[in-house]
Amino acid sequence: MIHSITRRATLLAAVAITTLPLLPRMAMAGPTVGEPAPDFLLPDQDGAMHRLQDYRGKLVVLEWTNHECPYVRKHYGSGNMQSLQALAADKGVVWLSVASSPEGEQGHVTGPEAKELTEARGARPEAVLLDPLSQAARAYQATTTPEMFVIGRDGTLLYMGGIDSIRSTRPADIERALPYLRNALLAAVEGRPVEPSVTRPYGCAVKYAPAA
Amino acid sequence: MLMKGHDHWHEHPRMIGKRFRGGAGSALGLALLVAGPAHALESAPFTSPQTSVTLVSEAAAVAPGEPFRLGLRQKISPGWHTYWSNPGDAGEPPALTFDLPADASAGELQFPAPERIEYGPLVNFGYENEVVFPVTVTPPADLRPGQSFTVRTDAFWLVCKDICIPEETSFTLALPVEPTGRSDAATAPLFAAAEASLPRPSVWLAEAGFEGDRGVLRLSGELLSPDAVTKAFFFPAEWGVIENAAPQELRVGQGELSLDLVRAKGELPERLSGVIAVTDAAGSRSAYALEAPLGPVPPAASSIGSTGLPLWQAVLFAALGGLLLNLMPCVFPILAMKAVGIVALAGRADRTIRLHALSYVAGVVLSFLALAGVLLLLKGAGMAAGWGFQFTSPLFVAAMAWLMLAVGLNLSGVYALGGPVSAGSGLAAKGGHAGSFFTGALAVLVATPCTAPFMAAATGAAFAMPPAATLAVFAALGLGMGAPYALLAFLPRLARLLPRPGLWMERLKQALAFPMYGAAGWLAWVLTVQAGADGLLLALAGALLVAFAAWALGIAQAAGRRGAWAGRGAAALAMLVALALLPQLRAAEAPRTVTVAAAAAEPWSEARVTELRRQGRPVFVNLTAAWCITCKVNERVALDTAATQEAFAAAGVATLVGDWTNGDPAIGALLQRHGREGVPLYLLYPAGSGEPVVLPQILTQSIVLQALEPVARTAAQVPAPSKG
Repeated sequence: MIHSITRRATLLAAVAITTLPLLPRMAMAGPTVGEPAPDFLLPDQDGAMHRLQDYRGKLVVLEWTNHECPYVRKHYGSGNMQSLQALAADKGVVWLSVASSPEGEQGHVTGPEAKELTEARGARPEAVLLDPLSQAARAYQATTTPEMFVIGRDGTLLYMGGIDSIRSTRPADIERALPYLRNALLAAVEGRPVEPSVTRPYGCAVKYAPAA
Repeated sequence: MLMKGHDHWHEHPRMIGKRFRGGAGSALGLALLVAGPAHALESAPFTSPQTSVTLVSEAAAVAPGEPFRLGLRQKISPGWHTYWSNPGDAGEPPALTFDLPADASAGELQFPAPERIEYGPLVNFGYENEVVFPVTVTPPADLRPGQSFTVRTDAFWLVCKDICIPEETSFTLALPVEPTGRSDAATAPLFAAAEASLPRPSVWLAEAGFEGDRGVLRLSGELLSPDAVTKAFFFPAEWGVIENAAPQELRVGQGELSLDLVRAKGELPERLSGVIAVTDAAGSRSAYALEAPLGPVPPAASSIGSTGLPLWQAVLFAALGGLLLNLMPCVFPILAMKAVGIVALAGRADRTIRLHALSYVAGVVLSFLALAGVLLLLKGAGMAAGWGFQFTSPLFVAAMAWLMLAVGLNLSGVYALGGPVSAGSGLAAKGGHAGSFFTGALAVLVATPCTAPFMAAATGAAFAMPPAATLAVFAALGLGMGAPYALLAFLPRLARLLPRPGLWMERLKQALAFPMYGAAGWLAWVLTVQAGADGLLLALAGALLVAFAAWALGIAQAAGRRGAWAGRGAAALAMLVALALLPQLRAAEAPRTVTVAAAAAEPWSEARVTELRRQGRPVFVNLTAAWCITCKVNERVALDTAATQEAFAAAGVATLVGDWTNGDPAIGALLQRHGREGVPLYLLYPAGSGEPVVLPQILTQSIVLQALEPVARTAAQVPAPSKG
């Protein structure tokens, strides 16, 4: 009660003094829609290096993946992911799958394993990027597999979030869900604003390599 | 019985789930045809290396149309976890899809307060070990006793360690229908524990706001204090509002707490909703559901919680804060007095000026040390005293108001006191160095309420340090506050810059009386908040007597030897009457504080428990402490409610309260006997003999009322207690 009385009088000074020793920590710089998407330099399944910058002038889709995760299996097992990849290829959009699991964790793949998986699942990514040190995952603050990003021709982030709206492992839900990624991709291709541009990603936690 | 032979389910959980459901359906159909369903309180378990899950019923028998509770009970293997309604950075909450007759219904699955589960840089919200999610089901109204009510539900949940496994099954539970529902002792504790683990409605005012990617959630209201809240975490109900993994800096003051939040990338809703989990000094955790309207960033609470400052920083901030205290409104009236004192020093010898300045600084520093020392002692004794504690006593506030008035009257020239340097009254008005010393002491007494919000970081850190360091911080605070006067001591020539004393000084002195009257008015207002209108009346009557005493004293001073006695006598009498009013003020403070089960509470003792039980009365024992937030919330929402008090009265239950605020070996022993390290502990003893029922640490009214039922039957036919 006394506090509330005196607080009024001393509010400004109090705020200044009490926050002084606790100067705000810098916020984690994560990806932000409308801002340049974080760059990366990663090898693909054949050892070729890819940089986001290399794709200026093209639309890019990033797909965080872990082929053993039930949520990823929902979309590959049903063919949904492959059809989105085919749609992207048809529209000249670059699709990059990113595997960020470190060695020894679920979802870790080597180059040959990645190729084999692509073949076996009939997938059509432009490349599977190997990120076993989780560097790209950290730059994008990826939280789940799958998690999707759409990047504009000028390198601006246009969409981040879920592949669709129904958080589940049931393939039957795909048809009923709002196809967030598909809509974002088509909007970006046609030059329309992406709406919604941020959605909740759902799935398994991204397996991070211990911070270097 | 229906779920055997699916050891390989996790290879293809969905397929197995489907196959299983088909199997269950036909098996059940067969069972119905042959013999009718077997009744059970708990379904056959779904088991996997990660979990063992059942559907469990609180009701042993259901009544037509009468809601009852089911629970999804998950026993989770070590290292694995399942998820809250907002799973955090990844994961999925469990879901039940009921298959019920058209005129039956099922409510929403209820989620107990979650834990924060870290995974690399990510944070999930969920459960480990065991959890029960209650859900209310209402059977059809046209059921007839003797029939069976069968609940079928598809269940899905995700269980994760480093990898995630979705698990899916169907549960079936057949319950007998009877004219009135009946709970069962076997599952009652499970549901009591489940209910206790659900977040309760918050009893505080909640505000939140963001600016850029920073934000603050602020709760204010009674029961919040640094002892009541040692840890807190806010679990957001929605995704994308705040960063799940960001640390939430906690600050707790008296009656308020704040958490620093970091904004996430999702859209900002109109209200920030979620659950705050709070741990008190006794280590007991409780959770509250809250909704905070989003507006401007609310001010952080005025004290620190988890973060301590290093000693040198605390000392530095304390000194700086002390210096700035000179500009605070609380100290202003005292500074006015001091200013007059300094002015009076103008033109005096350097040595005199130096000694006066040093006396003042010494008064300030020693008073700070004394206050800190008293506070340390109080805390050592286990009392929940905070900085500025003296202002929580209406007696102190009234006495200070009168002192301010007396000083003001002195400055106005109603009466005179002391020698040449006199500027104050009472002790502070003693002529020489004692006068300066006590002016310093007075300044500190009045300044402390200002220091609380102002010096939050330093004083907060100070009390988390060893006592020697605490005292060092407060000494620094005093030195900072006295610094401008210490300057006078080292550079006495500064005083020469002041004009020579003269009539202007008299005028200044008179003008400075008004801040003193203002301060007295402010204190009177504080008193109305603390002690109500009656308290104010007493304080004003006292003020009248003080003014009268000052006037009488002034007359005595003006009169020669002859009139002096009468005047002084009248003044002394008036002061005595004023002082006699003070104890009455204490009586006026009582009505505002809510006491535990005020109607019938007696202090606890083992002997009294035995005696009451022998008289045929059940006994409810409430072990509590002033600093125990769980206790206070329990009292407010479950014990001090009209329904509970009525039920207690109807069953003739006697309530005994054991106050552990200051520690008590007898209470400590009782706690230990029940395997508890601290309060709260609630024991419900049946009348006569028999073991007490131990209630959960977190109570709701229905938990108390349910526990009361069997105990009430033990009561002898005694009239409900009518003592007042």
